[in-house]
Amino acid sequence: MALTVPRPEMTLAEKAYIPEIVKGLKVTMGHLLKGLARPETLPVLNYPEIQPEVPRNYRAKHRLMKRPDGEPRCVACFMCSTACPANCIHIEATESKDGRIEKKPASFEIDLLVCVFCGLCAEACPVDAIRMDTRKVALAADSREKFKVGISDLLDWNPKDYPESDEQSQKAPGGTLNALARKEWGLE
Amino acid sequence: MNQLDLPFLIQCAKFLLVFVPLALIPVNIFLERKGASLIQDRIGPNRANIPFLGGMRLFGMVQNLPDGIKLFSKESFIPKGAHRTWYFLAPMIPMAIALLTPAVIPWFAPLLVDGARGAVAVSGQILDADSGILVLFALSGLSVYGVVLGSWASNSKYALLGGMRASAQMISYEVSMGLSAAGIFLLAGSFSLTDIVEWQGANPFHWGLVLQPVGFFLFLTALFAETGRAPFDMAEGESEIVAGYFVEYSAIRFALYYMGEYAHIAIASALVSSLFLGGYQVPFLSTEGLRSNLGLAAAGILAFLGLACAAIAFAVRRWQRIYETRGASDVAVRRREHAILFGAFSTLAVVLWGAAAASAVLVHPAQVGGAWPLAIQLGAAAVQLGALVGKILFVCWIFVWVRWTLPRFRYDQVMHLGWKILLNVALANLLVTALVARLAKG
Repeated sequence: MALTVPRPEMTLAEKAYIPEIVKGLKVTMGHLLKGLARPETLPVLNYPEIQPEVPRNYRAKHRLMKRPDGEPRCVACFMCSTACPANCIHIEATESKDGRIEKKPASFEIDLLVCVFCGLCAEACPVDAIRMDTRKVALAADSREKFKVGISDLLDWNPKDYPESDEQSQKAPGGTLNALARKEWGLE
Repeated sequence: MNQLDLPFLIQCAKFLLVFVPLALIPVNIFLERKGASLIQDRIGPNRANIPFLGGMRLFGMVQNLPDGIKLFSKESFIPKGAHRTWYFLAPMIPMAIALLTPAVIPWFAPLLVDGARGAVAVSGQILDADSGILVLFALSGLSVYGVVLGSWASNSKYALLGGMRASAQMISYEVSMGLSAAGIFLLAGSFSLTDIVEWQGANPFHWGLVLQPVGFFLFLTALFAETGRAPFDMAEGESEIVAGYFVEYSAIRFALYYMGEYAHIAIASALVSSLFLGGYQVPFLSTEGLRSNLGLAAAGILAFLGLACAAIAFAVRRWQRIYETRGASDVAVRRREHAILFGAFSTLAVVLWGAAAASAVLVHPAQVGGAWPLAIQLGAAAVQLGALVGKILFVCWIFVWVRWTLPRFRYDQVMHLGWKILLNVALANLLVTALVARLAKG
């Protein structure tokens, strides 16, 4: 059954249109005069010099998480590349040297120009190896090839840029929990 | 002196006034950009600068330069299947019309110049024809050809749709435009714009705006539609027809359309000023009064300009804050630029105030043998030209202001408003004006 929503009746002044135009003109002029008189209150950033504050949970450029020894956590299970709706993740697997783990990626390539930044790869990963919390949103390069980021690029991050509460990041080399994690992992 | 007839020389010199709307194009673009950004709580163009002049940005006005260079040097692409002749010619039409129409705008009061054949009246119009305003209406009606031809020649469905819309809209609003101005012609009893401005006189309470308020609003609305500006920018529409009639145009041909639009705005503003805002008349100072008090009048205007410069210098001080508080990487450069600008504008203000004082003290116009000396007449003409340009800039600003305030109409709403409302109100306005004018004259 169709539901009819009654439209509010307009007053005569609103129907005449001109008084409403004058109201609108007043609003815009108010904004203009405020901007002219107090430019420091304008809600804008001095952009290239000042970068915007990007939230942690914003889906930005990917990174690969690291084990305590710096190896990628990725076990080359292809879950992410299967989940990827844009088919932008290309993995080649190889045998892992660590006896406890079967496989590791020989190459892990993401084409950022094809990526739709949906976050399904991070959702799909069973071992928390891929994340999109780098807060790198302004990606720029001068050729298409440079947007195909490989394993070294994805592993290039510093635990100091991530909060103390992010344990997985702090277990990587250079992180605050690294020494403990190395012991647990059986490296010492 | 006989070889060079003075009235003839002045007639020739008047042709320079054709460049007034052309000079107003960059001013209009600057007004539009800065006005739009401030209305939307943004800062607007402020990156382009002249490196040789200490990174001078001039409030973003420098942005016009790289834009012009870009548009001149880009590839001028011709789409496949385009009709080459019309594709080349079409963008020139709006621009050519924008350069023709200043001919019928009265820029100053008629001068009385001594020539080889005695005293000759030199009109403030380049073309002082009795048909005056009809020429202007006819020419601005022609500008729709540029739109239609351009859209047809570029062999694109979207362009054609935009062109069709624009032409339908322009033709519809031309009717109400002529009718809403008819009240003024009726009262003034002339089609000549000089006569209309002279009839309005120097008293602002006798201007067209006061005598024909309904006609003024109708005319302004019709002009918005005529120039294809928001809220009537039917010819453009990103969500519907990509960009409108110029979608296939690039580089300098696109710029011709673009500049034609802004020149058209300047001309439309000149028309509104002449018909409804007293044209070249300085408020409360008739041409005669202006000539006999030229020193004081010029002093007033110079003092006002000085005040404007002082205001700009003050604004420069305030705008320095955005760079101080927002962590710009080049604060030192910005500080230097603002110091230069502040110095320049405050010096200019002082110089203008000095000139104002000098003109008030030194200029004492006197009639020679029952006529004003030419220098006094020319000085008064310059003041009147300044007054008209001031009014034009004000109306241009209204164009920008309205564009960034009102949401655009849907196409059927535009047609509804044009044919069913504006036309009827314009006819009623004309009828009432005629009746009142007849009764008042007895």
